[in-house]
Amino acid sequence: MNRLRTRGEETRAYWALVLPAFSIYLLVMAFPIVLSVVLSLSDYDGGKMFGGEPWGFAGFRSYARVFADPYFWNALKNNAFIVLISVFGQLPLGFVFAYIIYRKIVKWPGFWQGVLYVPNIISVIVVGLLWQTIFSPNGPIAEVMNSMARSGFQSKLEALFSGSGGFAVTDDLVRRILDLAGPAASEWFTDPVPELKDLILSYEGAPRAELIGDLCNLFVARWSPEFLSKPNLAMMPIMFVILWMYTGMYLILFLANMQKIDTQIIEAARIDGASEWQVMRFVILPALSGTIVNSAILAISGSLSSFSLIFAMTGGGPSRVTEILSIYMYNNAFLGRPNLPLANAISLIMVVISFLLIGLTKAVEKRYGGKED
Amino acid sequence: MTEELRTTALGRAGGRFAKGLAYAIMIVFTAMTLYPIFWLIMNSFKATREFQVSQLALPKEPTLANYAGAWEMGDFALLFPNSLVYTVGATVGIVVVSLLAGFAFAKIGSRATKPLYNAFIIGILITAQSLMIPLFLEVNLLGIYNTRLAVLLVYIGTGLPLGVYLATEYIKSIPNALIESARIDGAGFFRIFWKIVLPMSMPVAITLSILNISNIWNEFALINILVSKTELKSLPLGIFKFSGSLSTDYGKQFAALTIGMVPMLLFYIVFRKQITKGVAAGAVKG
Repeated sequence: MNRLRTRGEETRAYWALVLPAFSIYLLVMAFPIVLSVVLSLSDYDGGKMFGGEPWGFAGFRSYARVFADPYFWNALKNNAFIVLISVFGQLPLGFVFAYIIYRKIVKWPGFWQGVLYVPNIISVIVVGLLWQTIFSPNGPIAEVMNSMARSGFQSKLEALFSGSGGFAVTDDLVRRILDLAGPAASEWFTDPVPELKDLILSYEGAPRAELIGDLCNLFVARWSPEFLSKPNLAMMPIMFVILWMYTGMYLILFLANMQKIDTQIIEAARIDGASEWQVMRFVILPALSGTIVNSAILAISGSLSSFSLIFAMTGGGPSRVTEILSIYMYNNAFLGRPNLPLANAISLIMVVISFLLIGLTKAVEKRYGGKED
Repeated sequence: MTEELRTTALGRAGGRFAKGLAYAIMIVFTAMTLYPIFWLIMNSFKATREFQVSQLALPKEPTLANYAGAWEMGDFALLFPNSLVYTVGATVGIVVVSLLAGFAFAKIGSRATKPLYNAFIIGILITAQSLMIPLFLEVNLLGIYNTRLAVLLVYIGTGLPLGVYLATEYIKSIPNALIESARIDGAGFFRIFWKIVLPMSMPVAITLSILNISNIWNEFALINILVSKTELKSLPLGIFKFSGSLSTDYGKQFAALTIGMVPMLLFYIVFRKQITKGVAAGAVKG
């Protein structure tokens, strides 16, 4: 066979095989990054990119604006929360689950693993809207809290009335009811004692339950998850949902890699008298160090780019306290007066941050990590 | 022997208490995982009026009206086929294009391989969500905003880095002798791909499909900036309509969420083993 012809054929075949992948890669990954660099340094403000309004170089103005914007730092802080809950919440929890299953401490390994992974395969939009409702003032948490508050108040009222016997409405009884109601009473009455007494007397002849029910309606405030709009706490439900949704994935990763460990090592350690704790500390953890670093990288890059879950759950609200970088970027590009150079600057900042964090994770592994492949 | 050793060893280590604690942990978290999903499905069969007075009880008068309403309002008859087209199209695209490139990288020597392959590896770390603004502008620049082509290209592009990586590593394990003897028999590279590489790469093709099917079916952030016409939207975009102004019609919202959830739940129930294996194999960031 002619070697030269073969060589030429090889080169042509090589490029024909690689070209589809490479051209799509350029289109979807490389070119957007270049575009983002160019636009972030420009004063482009929408419209036709070529042949429309002229636009040009504007220096690092957009970057300066981003770094001066308190909302950027707020978004960055929220992203940091998500990274933290991912790395220090999902990973350890996933490890505990995997460990319990791997060491056969519980029966039915397939069942737990199968169930705990379920939230991963549900669309984040579904998950976001579901939990938005669960945490809303009309949701089940509020309902449980309200019914608990109401039944507590109701039983106290009943105790008061049964203590008073019959329907003798004394000033003393009225005062005690007012004590029970607390500040809510002054919202309804200007001169509480006589006014409430008149009200109660107007129920004469009606069943006691009706009176008690109406008094509950009057005095038991509706509980609402107001804490969700407090700046310091608004991220809590989001972090909870992230934990709820993705922990199962780390369970799977850890378990799959634990199952690769040679069981003879564990058995030998056991025969030599190692405790369960020592087996975990000196056999299983070191064997998983590579997986742990990989998972941390996965968690970091996943949390930095997360968008849809928070977009669906809070949209960055209330009043922007739950904004993360991607939503901050999205809002700058699509809401109000779009600022495209700014949005592109944020986009690049996000890419750079994720590379920095991943580099850091790798460095930490090199410094302290075990010696697994 | 192994089994016995493990249980006795454990008995020594933590005994009953550890076992009880482990069961408690597993049961609590499993319940926390399943209950919200159960709660959602259960309430999707209640009229909104019934939901407002009782959220925790089973439906007294179960109704399918929410489903009919949500199906209509969310244009799901349009969006379902769209989601199918995007998912199947992009998954097949990712698998085929990745295997083609992987074959070249693994089995045909070239100086270009190193830089190109590294470019794909770096791509694994770049999440396309952070590029959604430039992607949006690019798609407009190319005049393919609001087209299926844009959605498919972007989805294939985001799946390629991992796809190329897994395909290349897998194809490396195919014996060179097989390919060389086919070459000596005069077969061209595409024939070899079709006759040898493709059939032998089925395991990695399945892993890649599994990884991408649920990602693409559930994808929201990118398609949200790529299309605005209802005829081109996917299911997650339709479900998102049920937030905001429609969100107080709880019955319909829950039905819509359930409609969005059930296909992937079924997919998971059927392919659980493969999905679990695929996820473990695909977790290779960096």
